[in-house]
Amino acid sequence: MTTAERNWLLAAGVAHIALIGALSLAWQHSQRLMPSPTDAVPVEIVTIADAPRVTEPPKPSVEAAPQEAAAATPSKAAPAPEPVKADAVPPPEPVKPKPPEKPSSMPSKTAPTSLDTSSLASLIDKALPKAPKRTLDTSRLATELNDAAPRNATVDPRAAATLAQAIRAQVAPCWNPPVGGRDVRRMTVIVSVRYSRDGRVVGLPDVGRPTGSTAANADYARAFAETARRAVLRCQPLKLPAELYDLWSNVEINFDPEEMT
Amino acid sequence: MRTIHRLLTATLLTLATATATLAQPAGPQSGPQTGPLRVDINAGLMQPMPIAVPAFAPGNAGTTEAGTTTALGERAAQVIANDLRSSGLFRPLDPAAFTTTVGVDSVLAPDFAAWRTIAAQALVTGTVTANPDGGITLACYAYDVFAGTEIARQGFVTTAAGWRRAAHKCADLVYSRLTGESGYFDSRIVYVSETGPRTNRIKRLAIMDQDGAQHRFLTSGQNLVLTPRFAPGQQTITYMSFENNRPRVWLYTLGSGRQEAVGEFQGMSFAPRFSPDGQNLIFSMAVGGNTDIWRYNIATRQSVRLTTGPGIDTSPSYSPDGRQIVFESDRGGSQQIYVMNADGSNQRRISFGEGRSASPVWSPRGDYVAFTRMGSGRFGIGVMRPDGTGERLLTNGYQDEGASWSPNGRVILFSRSDRSGRSGLWSVDISGLNERRLATPLDASDPAWSPLLP
Repeated sequence: MTTAERNWLLAAGVAHIALIGALSLAWQHSQRLMPSPTDAVPVEIVTIADAPRVTEPPKPSVEAAPQEAAAATPSKAAPAPEPVKADAVPPPEPVKPKPPEKPSSMPSKTAPTSLDTSSLASLIDKALPKAPKRTLDTSRLATELNDAAPRNATVDPRAAATLAQAIRAQVAPCWNPPVGGRDVRRMTVIVSVRYSRDGRVVGLPDVGRPTGSTAANADYARAFAETARRAVLRCQPLKLPAELYDLWSNVEINFDPEEMT
Repeated sequence: MRTIHRLLTATLLTLATATATLAQPAGPQSGPQTGPLRVDINAGLMQPMPIAVPAFAPGNAGTTEAGTTTALGERAAQVIANDLRSSGLFRPLDPAAFTTTVGVDSVLAPDFAAWRTIAAQALVTGTVTANPDGGITLACYAYDVFAGTEIARQGFVTTAAGWRRAAHKCADLVYSRLTGESGYFDSRIVYVSETGPRTNRIKRLAIMDQDGAQHRFLTSGQNLVLTPRFAPGQQTITYMSFENNRPRVWLYTLGSGRQEAVGEFQGMSFAPRFSPDGQNLIFSMAVGGNTDIWRYNIATRQSVRLTTGPGIDTSPSYSPDGRQIVFESDRGGSQQIYVMNADGSNQRRISFGEGRSASPVWSPRGDYVAFTRMGSGRFGIGVMRPDGTGERLLTNGYQDEGASWSPNGRVILFSRSDRSGRSGLWSVDISGLNERRLATPLDASDPAWSPLLP
C-alpha cells in the first residue's frame, strides 16, 4: 500500500466517522420533541447494620402495657395525646380490689354449675360491637357448645360456650384481617393464649401455622397470622368472671375470616 | 361457585376441628381442667391500621443539594405517610399526638409503651444520612408496636434527588410486610392530559410518580394521543397517535424521548399493549372495515393475525403468564369480553352481565379482569375472575372507564368524566372501598400504571 493510498483510506475513514456522528446527532435532534424526563434515579438497596448504640427492645410485659404506662406517665410539656377513640384499646378500667375471696386457687367444683348464664351475657361489651355482630345461628349452637367445652372437663358446656362468646365479643373488634389478599379465603390461624387472672395476656401468644399457607404465599400467611396476634394483644385485659378463671386461663382462638370474604 | 367454596371451607374447618380433637392430649381425669377453651372468631373489623411515622432522624448533620438531612427526614416521613394513607389500609397518626420524639438513639430502641398509648399498631422510623459522594442513605425500620418487635429493616442508597424514591421504597417495605402483598408505591403513572374546548381538545402524554409528584409532559400536543401503556421494563411506552392524520401505534422511549411508529400497516392500528415479556405488542388493526387483533414482534417486525371474525375485536390484554389474552368483541351483537389462548385459539365469551362490557385488563396478579360496564347511560368499573365468575362492580359514575391495575393487582386506576366533559384520574381498592381522586394539573384520561420501578 502506497502512502497516498494509506492517506486516502485514512481520510475516507475520518470522513465516514464524521458523517455517522453528524447523522446520529441530527437523528437525536429530530426525535426530541420535548425535553425528555430524566430517567428514574437509581436506588441501591443495602443491608443496614445496627448502630453501635443498639439496645434490645424492651420485652413486652404486663408492666409495659399501655394502660399502666398511660397512668404512670402524665405528659409534661408534650401535648396531651388526643384519645383516638376509634382504635384505642378499651379504656383502662381501674383494677377493682378483689372481693374477699376464699383464698383458694382451685375453683370450687360447684361454681360452674351454679353459674347464672344470664348474668354472663352482660359481659359482652355493648360499646365495642361496632364489630360485626355475629348472627345467632342456632344450627351451629350444638357444634359450638361441643367445640367450646374443654376436653375432659366436667364443666357445664353452656358456661364454656358463653365464655367463648364473651371472649369472641371482646377480641373480634381488634381483629383487622387483610381481607383484600388473594389467599384470604383459604386461610385460618389458631392463636394459643395464656391469660393471667386479671385478664392480661401472659407473654407473647403462641401463633400456629396458618392453614392454607404455602411457599408461594408465605409473606401473606405471616401478615395474616400477625393480625390475629395483634388482635389478642390489643384487646386485653379481658373482662371475664374470676370464678371461672380455670376455664379461660388457656384459650385457643381460631381466627377465620369466613364471614368477611 | 361461592356457595361451593363456602361448603368446602366449612368441610375443611370441620375436618380441622376433628383433627384437633383427636390430637388433644388426654388430660388428667381429676383436678382442674387444663385443656384450652376453644373460641372461633369468624369476622373482625376492617379498618385502616393506625400507624406512626415520625420524622426520620438525621443520621449526620450533613447538607445535600436536596436539603439538610433534617429536612429530608421530615419530608421522607411525609411521603411515606401519604403513600400508606392513600392505600386506605393505614391511618398515619397526627404527629401532634406523638408523646415521644424519635432521635437517632430511639430509631433502634423505640419506646413501645409510649406508642401504645396513642394506639399506634405499627411504627416506621429511620434515618437520613448524607454520604460523602453527595448522595444519601435512607434507613427504614418497621416495628409491631403491640408485640414490641422489629418486623422489617432496609437501607436505600441513592442520589440526593432520589430521596423520594427511597421514601417510596421504604413505604413499599412497610406495606408489603404488614399486608403480605407486594407494594406499589415506587411506581409511575402515564396518562393523557387534556385541555381546551371539546371541539379542539389538546391531548398530551404526561407522566408522574404514583403520588402525583414529578409531573412532566412527554409530547407537545400537536397530535392527538390515546391509550398509553408501559412496557414491562418501563423504558418504553406504547400509545396511539394521529400523527400525520394517520392513527397508528407508536413507541416512546423514556430517557431519550425518541418516538417511532410501529410497523407499516395498511389500516389503522390502535389499542396497543405489551406482552408480559416485553417482546411483543398486541393491538387492533382495522383493514377493509373489519377490526381484528394482531400480535407484532418488536425485534423481528413480524405480525400475526389472532382473530378473524367479522366483528370489531379490540382492547386486547395479556394474562400475566402470557398464555392467554382477554379482549373485547361485538361479534355476539353487543360489546362483551372474551378470552383466547395467546395463539388465538379457543376463543370464548366470559361476560354475561347486564349491559355491555368493554376494555378488559388482566390483573398483574392474575386473579381478576377489570373492565368497563356500560348500561342505563352510566359507565362503571367492574372486576370478574378470568372464567367470568365473581363479577362485582366497584364504581358507578356518569362515565368511569379506562381501568389500569396497580403493580400488585390491588388498586385500580381509572378516568372519570362528568356531564360537562371534565375528566380526572381516580383510584379504587379492589374491595370497592377507598375511592379517591389523583390530582393532575389539567383534565386527565386513559391512565396506565407502571410496574414497580426496578
